[in-house]
Amino acid sequence: MSQSTADIADLIGRTALKDRGAFRDLYQRTSAKLFGVTLRILKDRSEAEEALQEVYVKIWQRADRYAAGGYSPISWLVAIARNHALDVLRARKPLADDLDGALEVADIAPDPEQAAIGQGERGRIDACLAELEGDKAEAVRAAYLDGFSYEELASRFSVPLNTMRTWLRRSLIKLRECLSA
Amino acid sequence: MSTDEQSEGGEGDQVLVAEFALGLLDNAEHAAVGRRIADHPLLRREYRLWRLRLSALDREFAETPAPAGVLARIEARLFPGATNTSSGSLWQSLAFWRAVAAAFLVVAAVSIGFNLAPRPPLTGPELVAALEAEGSNVKFVAFYDQQNGTLRLAALSGAAVPGKDYELWSIHGKDAPISMGVVPVNAKTNVTMSPTVKQSFGAGTVLAVTLEQTGGSPTGAPQGPVVAMGTATAI
Repeated sequence: MSQSTADIADLIGRTALKDRGAFRDLYQRTSAKLFGVTLRILKDRSEAEEALQEVYVKIWQRADRYAAGGYSPISWLVAIARNHALDVLRARKPLADDLDGALEVADIAPDPEQAAIGQGERGRIDACLAELEGDKAEAVRAAYLDGFSYEELASRFSVPLNTMRTWLRRSLIKLRECLSA
Repeated sequence: MSTDEQSEGGEGDQVLVAEFALGLLDNAEHAAVGRRIADHPLLRREYRLWRLRLSALDREFAETPAPAGVLARIEARLFPGATNTSSGSLWQSLAFWRAVAAAFLVVAAVSIGFNLAPRPPLTGPELVAALEAEGSNVKFVAFYDQQNGTLRLAALSGAAVPGKDYELWSIHGKDAPISMGVVPVNAKTNVTMSPTVKQSFGAGTVLAVTLEQTGGSPTGAPQGPVVAMGTATAI
């Protein structure tokens, strides 16, 4: 596990040096995971495939922003795929504003102290989600994994929109308290 | 829990940042919160923490083999005419290179007090490198005169970052990067070449600039992001 993590970090590093062979290896090693991300969020094979292409173009262009020791390399890649898929979802709606400014933020690596905190929290999120009531934990999970909007979550869990907003916001506060405890 | 429950980073903001990280906000709000996060260190920190916290869920994305042909399409897009190994916009301009070479000659002539006229342009083994990176506005050009073993470096663009320094690295083949020291962004510099660097330096050597803590990386290995990079090429 940690060996393969190190390998992927190394492939990202070599991709940053514009090593095409490393980029190809990186694709072979990680595309199934990232296709899983775009497919789960976009729920349409051809759109997910289109998104996957864009994601690897971004990875090629941004590999130099990956800082080892911050996010796990696979999480860094998943974040690029997930953010891109969410952008595609948003672009389906009107009023698409300047979204890229937000994406740049995603590239900033945590400082070492945060990374250390993050390591601990990664292990704790299951326990903290388990402290939330069943449906509420599921709603957080579905928002992250499926990219559902408040509207979609409300209809899926059969509650009014405002109830869903209140639920999720309270859940996020509780989750943060639990994770920071 | 937190000591920062005031203006930026209070509980309302913490929730907003979490909603942003989850992707729950509508377009206009998402863009607005994104800009605030970019502007406020506390919010940035909160955002990074939420990303770390939530990334524990990444393992729940099921692996699904990507359709055949995607890689070929990506490569066709990224590397059109795949025989061309150099990349980057600066490389494509011959006029740019002539200007760079001429500028360096002038700088050399003026700084050493030579008369420019008798010297034929660019006869010795000379190497240039354009250092740039996608998404970064830091650009350098480097000019290496093998005859007298000097490396001159000029910053074309980029701004100093408070509390940080730019550090230059020489990367030869698969060897670990060797630091060539901290370099300024608003000036032309003569970079001192250590014997180790000088020995391996040649066409194909990669020069990279990373953003490091003040004084440069304390470990002797690059730690910060690569902001500009290029390969030395004979002209």
